[in-house]
Amino acid sequence: MAKVFDRLTNLRAGTTDRYEVSKLALIIAGSLAVLLGSTILQVSFGAYPFTLVEAWQTVFDPAVLSSLEVWRWAFLGAAVPEWLTRQQLIVWNLRLPRILVGVLVGANLAVSGALFQIITRNELASPYILGVSDGAGLVVLLTLTLLSGLVPFLPILAAAGGGLAFLLVYAIAWKNGTSPVRLVLAGVVVGTVFGSVQRALFFFIDDLGVAMSAQAWLSGTLMNAGWAEVRIALPFTVLAMALAFAVTQELDVLALGEDRADSLGMPVEKVRFAIAGIGVLSTAAAIAVAGLIGFVGLIVPHMVRNLVGSDSKLLLAGCLFLGPALLVSADVGARLALSPVQLPVGVITGIVGGPYFLYLMRKKTDLGEV
Amino acid sequence: MADGRPSQMDGETVEHGSEAGTRAVDSASETTSESAAEIDGTDLVVGYSGRDEPVIDGESIAVPPDEVTALIGPNGSGKSTLLKAMADKISPDDGTVFVDGQTIDEFGSKELARKLGLLSQENVVPTGISVGDLVERGRYPHTGFFESPSDEDRAAVDDAIQLAGIENLRDRDVDSLSGGQKQLVWIAMAIAQDTDVLLLDEPTTFLDPQHQLEVMQIVETLRDESQITVVLVLHDIAQAARYADNIVALKDGSMYARGPPEEVVTKQLLADVFEIEAAVLETEYGLQVIPIDPVTDAQAAHTTVGPVPEDVPDTDREP
Repeated sequence: MAKVFDRLTNLRAGTTDRYEVSKLALIIAGSLAVLLGSTILQVSFGAYPFTLVEAWQTVFDPAVLSSLEVWRWAFLGAAVPEWLTRQQLIVWNLRLPRILVGVLVGANLAVSGALFQIITRNELASPYILGVSDGAGLVVLLTLTLLSGLVPFLPILAAAGGGLAFLLVYAIAWKNGTSPVRLVLAGVVVGTVFGSVQRALFFFIDDLGVAMSAQAWLSGTLMNAGWAEVRIALPFTVLAMALAFAVTQELDVLALGEDRADSLGMPVEKVRFAIAGIGVLSTAAAIAVAGLIGFVGLIVPHMVRNLVGSDSKLLLAGCLFLGPALLVSADVGARLALSPVQLPVGVITGIVGGPYFLYLMRKKTDLGEV
Repeated sequence: MADGRPSQMDGETVEHGSEAGTRAVDSASETTSESAAEIDGTDLVVGYSGRDEPVIDGESIAVPPDEVTALIGPNGSGKSTLLKAMADKISPDDGTVFVDGQTIDEFGSKELARKLGLLSQENVVPTGISVGDLVERGRYPHTGFFESPSDEDRAAVDDAIQLAGIENLRDRDVDSLSGGQKQLVWIAMAIAQDTDVLLLDEPTTFLDPQHQLEVMQIVETLRDESQITVVLVLHDIAQAARYADNIVALKDGSMYARGPPEEVVTKQLLADVFEIEAAVLETEYGLQVIPIDPVTDAQAAHTTVGPVPEDVPDTDREP
């Protein structure tokens, strides 16, 4: 009798799992559809327009896709294959890598946002909550104003600045261990100081072009994204994603609160620092190639959690797909809406993100608790 | 009686384990060690940083294995503090906690979590998590870094859910449950952790009578069917008298009395420790405590208890 009952409960447990997995499948399918649509739009339109059919045919051109030379050029930085037509070059050299960078950046921001929301136990946390954006922003301004010789290394420097600021935040928050609240407050401290210095530095810029490029960095843009950026971001993204998915069990336990995690035998401080480290690695990879794109890392985990719940594996998987879909489609708007003027994609994500939060505020009463 | 240290109640070790085999799915408890673990604290001095006086000052406690021991005492008497020290949540300023004769610091964190479980008063519920999933997280100390749940884990989860009597809630979102149901889920999670020692901090305090009884019956079943040592903080003296094998009464951070309920729960103890005038009746349902009047300070002056320090932190949350 008990066995029958057990089997029944197992069966029912199986169905809920399937129900949530099916919602995840919906997110993935929807994201892929949006991504494909955005890709076709992004490839077709611009200064050199194609028809949608031409765009489709060039992206999925078997001659290009099956050429080893093309892949070596794209991912290993080899010479551009000479046999590519002008049309193929525009698609493959300009428009596709931008989409690919968007995919990587979107995945990084969404997944790291989910990580930071869990470790700070705050639904309104973003990848930038522990000072990463302020450190990166300050370094960008310093480089552009005072150390202009180092501009070619800007991506790496920005990522390193973000990492350093994160360590500083941790050091400030540490007092016989940390807590989510201490970490967030330390993030505010570092952010305030760095932000002020960064704004002060703007007054030392006398060249409009430098000011524009600083502003583009701070709002986040995919304007200059090419294969070089793909090569910078790809290895770190793959590493960060692999690590993030390796710690889903730890995330699940950490989401129960420090006390409970500790009772379950988790070394909370070490695990939290390690997870924050993974988040920072992921965020830094995004910052290095796209600057400080806001809201994606905040909204996407939120949307996914509303659909699949807070099971970390499902949450991260959802973020991995929805992040790219949101960022790439926003970039379509950034590039084409006011053509020929291109907006930083961070402006679009902000314009989309604000109303989404308004909607959430109206809909949910317990906003702010994980 | 006020200094009961020599008469530590570690006399008898009752083996209840042989009855455990009758359960349908029992692989969880079969995998544990042969007998339940003993947990002792010696000369514990426990305080909170920022306070001069320790809450517990040089107390020893020996909890007999395989039995239910209840800590009772008024608010601020240090019972929760003692429990937290035993669970390694607060490291004592002095003294040592032993589990199975080994000091608690010698255990690795996951190793300790396989020996000793603690259910705190306050628990965080993540959104959109089913009861089954939450209970499964209790298996964390049994799973390795890259491992997914094994058959053994699943059996332990089934077992815990069955023991807690929450089969019907298994697929529900934890958010959507009542306070009493949530408490049963947390207890199921602690059971799934499959420890030799289970520490429960006021598991019944904020529950309605039905859920209080359910919780205490789960504790009873655990004691009878698995080899597990249970220590729990209770506010309800009658409940402690009915369900515990041993009672430890604390007053101002010292152990005032310890022993079986019939010896500890007396009119005199209630006056001294709880400062109430009460009737203790022996009924067919066990000891009944009927509080009559609070004992005022003037009346209490003649009792053996020393002055009450005002700065003992109140670790017991009031509803």
